[in-house]
Amino acid sequence: MTVKLKHDRGTLITWETPEVIASLFTWDDRSQLYRAPGQCYRQVVETLRERGIKHQDEATEFKNLELRVSREIEPYLHQTEALAAWKQAGRQGVVVLPTGSGKTFVAQLAMRDTPRSTLICVPTIDLLHQWYSGLLATFPDANIGLLGGGSQDRTPVLTATYDSATIYAEELANQYALIIFDEAHHLPAPYTSVIAKMSLAPYRLGLTATPKRSDGREADLDALVGPVVYHKTPAELGGGALADYQDVQIRIRLSATEQARYDELIAQRNEFLWRMHIKLGSPDGWQKFINASGTLEGRKAMLAHREARSIAFGTEGKLRVLEEVLANHPSERTLIFTDDNAMVYRISREFFIPAITHQTPVKERHDLLQQFRAGTYRILVTSRVLNEGVDVPEASIAVVLSGTATEREHIQRLGRILRKSEGKKAVLYEVVTEGTSEERVSQQRRGEWNSNSGPRVPTATWEDVNAPD
Amino acid sequence: MLPTELLMFKVKAGIVEPRLLKPNPTNTALIARLIELFTEQLNKRRFELNEELRTLEAGRRDYRVVRGLSHILAGDHSTFATGGVLSPPLVRARLFELAQAHPPARFRRQDLLEQVGRSMGADPQEVADALYADLPDQQTLVNFEAPDPQVLLDRYNLAQAQGLLYRAYSLIITARRNEPARYRQLISYVKFFGLMVTVEGDSDYGFTLTLDGPTSLFGGTTRYGLSLAKFLPALLHVTDWDLSAALKPRKDLAWTDPTDTEWSFQLTSEDGYVSHYPPPKEFDSALESGFSDRFAKLESPWKLEREVDLVPIPGGVIIPDFRLLHEDGRSVLLEIVGYWRPDYLTKKFDRLKKSGRTDIIVAVSERLNLEKAGVKLDSFGEQVISFKGVLDPKRVLELAEVLARQPTEREKKKQSKKKAT
Repeated sequence: MTVKLKHDRGTLITWETPEVIASLFTWDDRSQLYRAPGQCYRQVVETLRERGIKHQDEATEFKNLELRVSREIEPYLHQTEALAAWKQAGRQGVVVLPTGSGKTFVAQLAMRDTPRSTLICVPTIDLLHQWYSGLLATFPDANIGLLGGGSQDRTPVLTATYDSATIYAEELANQYALIIFDEAHHLPAPYTSVIAKMSLAPYRLGLTATPKRSDGREADLDALVGPVVYHKTPAELGGGALADYQDVQIRIRLSATEQARYDELIAQRNEFLWRMHIKLGSPDGWQKFINASGTLEGRKAMLAHREARSIAFGTEGKLRVLEEVLANHPSERTLIFTDDNAMVYRISREFFIPAITHQTPVKERHDLLQQFRAGTYRILVTSRVLNEGVDVPEASIAVVLSGTATEREHIQRLGRILRKSEGKKAVLYEVVTEGTSEERVSQQRRGEWNSNSGPRVPTATWEDVNAPD
Repeated sequence: MLPTELLMFKVKAGIVEPRLLKPNPTNTALIARLIELFTEQLNKRRFELNEELRTLEAGRRDYRVVRGLSHILAGDHSTFATGGVLSPPLVRARLFELAQAHPPARFRRQDLLEQVGRSMGADPQEVADALYADLPDQQTLVNFEAPDPQVLLDRYNLAQAQGLLYRAYSLIITARRNEPARYRQLISYVKFFGLMVTVEGDSDYGFTLTLDGPTSLFGGTTRYGLSLAKFLPALLHVTDWDLSAALKPRKDLAWTDPTDTEWSFQLTSEDGYVSHYPPPKEFDSALESGFSDRFAKLESPWKLEREVDLVPIPGGVIIPDFRLLHEDGRSVLLEIVGYWRPDYLTKKFDRLKKSGRTDIIVAVSERLNLEKAGVKLDSFGEQVISFKGVLDPKRVLELAEVLARQPTEREKKKQSKKKAT
C-alpha cells in the first residue's frame, strides 16, 4: 500500500489512512476521501517516514532556493542564540525580542539556514515594503515578491500582509515550506489564523516583541506556530543593542472656550450614561456604551463623546507645543505620531511636513520612508501606520500627540527611537491634555494606571517646561 | 454588498430576518432624494458629498438605510477622480523640499505657498488646495449613472440578505423539481467560489444541497461566509427552493440574546429577491439546442425537460442534460456527449455506473470508435446510443421505451391532481 497525499484548498487529502496517521484525518463523505487540516502535513509525513510506510507526496510544491547572502553582518549574541534555539526546536516556534533588537535579521538568518520557498506575513503595508527592501539587500539574487498593497506576486520568496495572506490562504497553503509571522501576536485572531491552519509549511517562525493579546489568545500561537523558543526583555538586552532614551511628558491645558465645550459634551454624555446605568470605569462599561449607541439618544451621547475626545486629542494647544518642540530640535530626525488621520493631515497642511497614513499610495510611502532614511526629509508625521516594527533607524526624537490606551502601542512607539545609533540621545515627548479623559489613557499606556492612586510619576506642565530654570 | 455595520436585521427566537426596504412613500422619497443628491453633487469633491449625506441623515432614525443606499450608489454607480490642474504629488514634493530649509513653523506657511505657486504658475490658494487633492475624500465625482429606483431597492435588499450570510457556517438548500431548474450553472458557481456541495435525495421528494467548504469538515467555520454570500445571487436564478443557513450569533450588539448559540436564516425562491448576475444560457451547446428543436417538431407523447434532475453519486453529483417525461408518468434521463477524450468518457461512464441508475441514456457522438479508443462499456453498453453528426430524437425515444422508469405512487398522485385541476 502506498499512501498518496494531495493538497486541496488548504487541506491535506488521502485515500488510505494507515493506523499511525488515522487519528489526524477525518473521512469526508462529500468527496469520498480522508481530509486533514493543511497544518498536519509535517506530522503526517514524519510519522510515515518513521514507520517506513511508502508514500507518494503530491501535496506540496515547495521549492529549494539558493540563498546567497550578499552582505555579512556579525549577528548580536541574542540573534545567534535565537536562531540556534529555533533550529534546535525543529525549526518551529516563536522568538520574543524587543522592538529594535533586530528581529528581521534573525528571520533572514533562519531563511539562509532553511533555503526553501518562504512566505513572510506582516501586519502593515509599511512593514511589507521594509521587509521587501531588506530581503533584496540581503539576498539580491532571490526572486522576491509582494502580495498586498496592490501587488499580486507569487514568487518563491513572498512578503504578504496578514490580510492578503488570509484572503489567498487556500492557494498559498502548499507553496511555502517556511512561513514567517512578523509581529506574530496578530496571527491568533479567528480571521487570520487560517493562514497557519491551512498552510502545509513544516517550518514556522513567529517574531514578536509582545506576544500578549487583549483577548488572551496568545496561547493559540503554540498550536499555530510553535512554543516560545527564545525570549529576551529590553532589560535583559540592556544597552547592548538599544539606545538610551529620555521620556518627557508635556501637559497642556485647554483654552477656556475649548474647556467649556468639552465640559458641556462630557456632561451630555454622562447624563446619558447615568440614565442607562453604564459605568465607563467598569470592565464592560465601554462595550455597554457602544451597544447602547444604537438608539437615537445613545448615538447623540456617542457623538458628544467623540467630539469631546477630538477636543482633547486635537486641541490647538498641541500644535503650539509641537511647533515649540520642533524648534528646539532643529536638526534631529523626528517622528510625530497622532491618533487619527485628520490630525496627521492637519499637521502636514499647516507645517508642510510629509505625512504617511493608510491612505498614502504604496509607492509614495515607500519613497517618503526612503527619503527620511536618506535624510532628504528630516521629519515625518504619521498616524498608527508606523506603529509596529517599521525600521526607521535615523529617528532620535519622537513626539506622541495622542494615543489609545494599550500597552503594546506605547512599547512599539518607543521602539521607533530605541534603535542603536552612535552618539544619539533619543527623546520621547508625550503631549497630553490636562483635565481630560485622555490623561488616563496616557497612564494606562505606560502600564501604570491605578484607579485609586492615580499616576505614579509627577510630571511637569507645559508652563513648567517653558519656564527658565 | 454592504459592510457589517450597515446590516439591519431582527432576531426572534434565534431566527434572523433582514429588515428589507419596502417601496413605501418614505423609502421611495428617500431613494429619489439620494439619487437627486448624487446628481447634484456631480463634479464636487467626495467630502462635500459626504457632508451632504451627513446632513441628510442627521436626526433620521433610518440613518443606516441612508448609508446603505449611498454605499451602493457610491460603489456601483459613481466614478471618482482626482481633479485640478496641479499634480498633487508634485506639489507635495516641491513644498516638502522647500520646507526642509527651516524648522517647520506656521508663520512660514504663506511664504512657502507663494514660492511654490510662483514656480508652478499658480496662486497660493490653488497650491494649498492641490496639496492632498488625490486623497479619496478629496476626489471629484466625475460620473454618476442614476439607477432605476427599483433596481437600487432590489440591490439593497439583496445586499442585506447577503450580509447575513457573512457569518454562515453552511447553506442547506431544499430544491424541488421544476422546469427549467438551471442546476448546471449553479454547480459551476459552487466551484467558482471555492465551495463544496453535497447532494442528497431524489426528484420525487426533492433534493437537499449542503454547501460549505473543505475545512468545514473539522468543525463549523465562517471562513466560507463571504463566498456563500456571493453565491446567493447565483441561486436566485434557480426556481423553487428553500434555503436555511446556520449563523454565528453577533455578540457585539446590546439587543441580541447573549445566550444564543446559533442563529438561523431562512429564505425561499419566492421571497422576491432579484439577482444581478447574468442568467444562465438556455443551452450548453448547439448539439443540445439542435436536439431540442428537432424533438419539438416530433409528434410524441414524450415531453422534453432541461436540467431538472440531480443524480447524487458518492463524492459528487450528475446533472443530466434532459429528462424525457411520458404522458403516462414514465420518465428517462438523457445525457448528450459531443466532443470527448477516452479518459473523460471512461470517467463519465464510471460515474453513471456509480449512480446505479438504469434509466439514463447516454448519446455519444461517434468521433472515434469507442472500443478502439479503449472505452469499455461492459454492462453499460445497452444504455448508450452512438450517433454521427446529428442525434435523431426517434432513436432516443426507442431506447426510452425500454429503459423508462415507472412513476412512483407519489408521482402518480401528483400527476392525477394536476389533471384534475
